[in-house]
Amino acid sequence: MNDLPRGNMNRLNQRIVLAKVGLDGHDRGIKVVARALRDAGFEVIYPGLWLSPASVVRVVAEEDADWLGISILSGAHLVLVPQVLELLRQQGLHHVRVVVGGTIPEEDVAPLLACGVAKVFGPGSALADIVHYFQGERKHEQNPSSA
Amino acid sequence: MSKTHRPHELPEELLELWQAYVRGERLALSRLLTLAGQRHYKAHFYHLFAQPLPGVSSQVVAITGSPGAGKSTLIGRLIPEIRQRGRKVAVLACDPRSSLTGGALLGDRIRMSIDAEDMGIYIRSLATPPGRQGLAESLDIRIALFERFGFDWILIETVGTGQGDVAVRDLVDCLVLLIQPESGDEIQWEKAGLLEVADFIVVSKGDLPGASRTAEQLQQTLNLPGFPTKPVLVVSAAKGSGLVELLDQLVQQPRRRHHPERRRQRLLLLAQELLAERFQEEADLVENVLREAQRAGWNDWQAAGELISRLARTGCKP
Repeated sequence: MNDLPRGNMNRLNQRIVLAKVGLDGHDRGIKVVARALRDAGFEVIYPGLWLSPASVVRVVAEEDADWLGISILSGAHLVLVPQVLELLRQQGLHHVRVVVGGTIPEEDVAPLLACGVAKVFGPGSALADIVHYFQGERKHEQNPSSA
Repeated sequence: MSKTHRPHELPEELLELWQAYVRGERLALSRLLTLAGQRHYKAHFYHLFAQPLPGVSSQVVAITGSPGAGKSTLIGRLIPEIRQRGRKVAVLACDPRSSLTGGALLGDRIRMSIDAEDMGIYIRSLATPPGRQGLAESLDIRIALFERFGFDWILIETVGTGQGDVAVRDLVDCLVLLIQPESGDEIQWEKAGLLEVADFIVVSKGDLPGASRTAEQLQQTLNLPGFPTKPVLVVSAAKGSGLVELLDQLVQQPRRRHHPERRRQRLLLLAQELLAERFQEEADLVENVLREAQRAGWNDWQAAGELISRLARTGCKP
């Protein structure tokens, strides 16, 4: 599928879908991240718990999100994340960058990055680091030359 | 090709998206919904929609009510009812945007769980800036985008409104006001505002004990002899009761959007939006006046007077 044009990307309020995928009912962490990103000026869409990869990708498509943040604390990240990435590709959502957070063991980071994840925030990640990451990327996008 | 439609004036990317959208591509719809909110694209949409599209007319319903009244939940329950009747439904779910940071947390989808495969549904969350009577930017364009895409129903969830946010009425066919049980006494219902402009009053959480009493009070207050009657319904999302009745009543509503008075109000609304944007462009003006006020020791009233006279000079007459 050909990529549709994005239009002017210089919008201040980038949209981030934060999602819980699969059978994982722990949403404390994702809610804290959602609040922090809201306070950093992002539009955060939180669609709730227990979403299938197909549902998550549907939300990303309907919301025209720039980012997808997936939180997984069930240990199923190596199964679910590649599924989500594949569905994003199938639907022509190549521009959506995916960030994964949760209980990701050190040795799983490289495989996730290899299959197309932009960044992994494992256990012990500081909230400020997550916010800085998104802010940095936003700034870079709005001002590519200054980076 | 008609005179009003001049594709060569359109930015190339917008034209390409529009063509994909006309072919029925959902991703193009998604992106156009985004671009509709951006100032420099907005005017182009009025060009694009200038060509009439025969035979397409959605039923546009706004659902309003105080935060926690049950707006998302009601919409979440209406979606499957509408789908069961073989109709397509789009939802614009509005939540507030922070006046401090510009950020927003859009969480209405949580209560609208849908079948991931069902393409007869489309939900879009919108951040709504403060101080616009609870209206998201370019709501008119976004409604039109859904209508032309072929959605039979367009449901708009407003931000949890206060009492005065009535502007959405002019953009829709029908305004439903959701009231939760035990949320006011008789005199509350006499006040001017939402109750006055709503076409439907729905008491939510009908499974709670106070629901029928609230509905009765509303009935008595609203339907006085000599006044036009207003339907009061009780629904319960928990029990699933009242939903079929509500939908049946909504189906019968006339398409009030096409009423000349609504048309007039919509143009006025657009004018207000454009003026507000013009003013945004003059934001430097405020900064300059502030700086001078600081330097010259003006009080608030002097600063305000200076701002007004400068605005008048730029053509933004208050």
